[in-house]
Amino acid sequence: MSEPVLSARALRKSYPSGDGRLEVLRGVDLDIAAGESVSIRGESGSGKSTLLNLLAGLDSPDTGSVSWAGSTDTGAGRRAAFLGMVFQSFYLVPELDALANVLLARRILGRLDPAARTRARDLLARVGLAERAHHLPAHLSGGERQRVALARALMNSPRLILADEPTGNLDEQTGGGVIELLLSLCASADAALVLVTHNAAHAARTRRSLLLTSGTLGAGRA
Amino acid sequence: MPWYLHLALRQLFPTGRRFPFFTLISTLGVALGVALLIIVMGVMGGFAYEIRHMIVDTEGEVQIVARSPIPDYRALMRKIDSVPGVEAATPYARDAVMLKFGDKAAFPMLRGLDLDSVSRVTQLGEYVRVGSLDDLDDDSIILSAQLAVSIGARVGDTVEVYSPLIINKLAADSVFLPREVRVVGILEIGHQQLDSSTAYGTIRLAQDLYGLGSTVHGLDVRIKPGMNEDDVVARINAVLPDDIRALSWQDSFSEFLWVLNLERNMIFFLLLFIVIVAAFSVTSSLLISVVRKTREIGLLGALGGKPVHVAACFCAQGLFIGVLGSVAGLALGLTALAFRNNVVLWITRVTQHPEVLRRYYQFSELPSHTSGATVALIVALTIVISTLAGLLPAWKAASLKPVEALRSE
Repeated sequence: MSEPVLSARALRKSYPSGDGRLEVLRGVDLDIAAGESVSIRGESGSGKSTLLNLLAGLDSPDTGSVSWAGSTDTGAGRRAAFLGMVFQSFYLVPELDALANVLLARRILGRLDPAARTRARDLLARVGLAERAHHLPAHLSGGERQRVALARALMNSPRLILADEPTGNLDEQTGGGVIELLLSLCASADAALVLVTHNAAHAARTRRSLLLTSGTLGAGRA
Repeated sequence: MPWYLHLALRQLFPTGRRFPFFTLISTLGVALGVALLIIVMGVMGGFAYEIRHMIVDTEGEVQIVARSPIPDYRALMRKIDSVPGVEAATPYARDAVMLKFGDKAAFPMLRGLDLDSVSRVTQLGEYVRVGSLDDLDDDSIILSAQLAVSIGARVGDTVEVYSPLIINKLAADSVFLPREVRVVGILEIGHQQLDSSTAYGTIRLAQDLYGLGSTVHGLDVRIKPGMNEDDVVARINAVLPDDIRALSWQDSFSEFLWVLNLERNMIFFLLLFIVIVAAFSVTSSLLISVVRKTREIGLLGALGGKPVHVAACFCAQGLFIGVLGSVAGLALGLTALAFRNNVVLWITRVTQHPEVLRRYYQFSELPSHTSGATVALIVALTIVISTLAGLLPAWKAASLKPVEALRSE
């Protein structure tokens, strides 16, 4: 079997709560293969976002380890090239137009060249926003903003996409379209996907569905 | 361009908006500070520059002074003329006299000039508004403009000159009659003190009035263009006897120049606080920006941006505001200096008579001289201060943890 793109071992995470500590994750193990799509569901406060932050290297576990393609280097320098992130609230930079927001990911990687501009335009075309490349986020609808965020997440051809409730701020129909697009883009880019969602229908679209309960991951297919 | 500089520029000048309010106000604050510094330092520099011009134009760059009157000054002139770097030398005799015209009296310094050599050393002839230096003879004088006004004398009038020797003669119970001389010219330098208290005659007239015989009080020396004044002074001193020495104009007016310099430095220091206050407003605005953009800062971390680069993004905004404010302030300051006399004239007309300016500030026009070094210092300090203003917001931004920043409301 080939080396997993993402591997988490015995992840534990707790937060201060009153006099004690609230244990959110109690030993999570996870392997994601290249190009695999995995959904993680769970109730509000079950620790889905906490887990995603640990997988993204944005937070550190109390114990346990995360490795990307066999390396435990999950620092900022590697993050720009290895993974793309999609958030519930889109998080586009309001001063930049759609094209510049997509290109920001490449700028941070430090490799902005004419080919990168072409790729950014291609990605915007693929998410159906070719005509709106020079529109500011304020002039885009919620669905359009999320599609710009998808293009940005894919800009650096990452091996892994982490999506944290990407349809949380969208209506059912728009959300469904975004998930469709996300899965199709990941598949064509051969990028693995970890999708955190509340929506069972969206979760069912992924190859593997997991459920986070009581701080541990288990099979979640209903 | 690195992403943090690109983002800094975009945050100051977002796509589709020419000049956001925050950028405008911050830049304006810095620009006003720079403009004020440029204007005030320009005028202060102008005073110093004009004073130098007046001293050099009327007395040359180097003065030869002695404890007692100098005998055989012609031999000394020849010796000084032969010193490398010396253009020419001219003798002078100078003392206070009493001038009387009708029932009005004044007590100016009367300076005796050697008409054969004075024009090779000084530019006095260019300041004669009525008449000419060539009109002078041993029975005539040229009055400075305000002195002539104060005693009511005009060209062609005869005035009485009372020598300081009159005191000695009175003590010896003898009578020393005043000398009657014609006014043959009016001279105006543009400096209130010189224009109200100076008269010029021939060296012979001054020697007679001061009882000098064939001696003089000193010599004025002009040095060749491009020569270092201090080097020439040292060479002249090497050929002078012990009781006579050469002083550069800076040495002769060292205390005055020291005070002038002290004033300039103090004013510079105090006005710099305007830039510092403007920088505080930049800090405040950028801190608000950090709070407002907390989730964007978190996003930058999530996209792989390093904390040091996030910090650089906010520091760069201070830098850009400093550069922009300096350029705008420089343009504003230099424009104001170009129109300074129109402004001053308007103010004096509205408030007081224009003569007030001349009486209290010595000059008929507001002088200005802006040196490149001063401009460079102002711009460099402004940019450094503005960049430092971005440090605190930069540190705040860099210390935000992406995961907490993304979670913030």
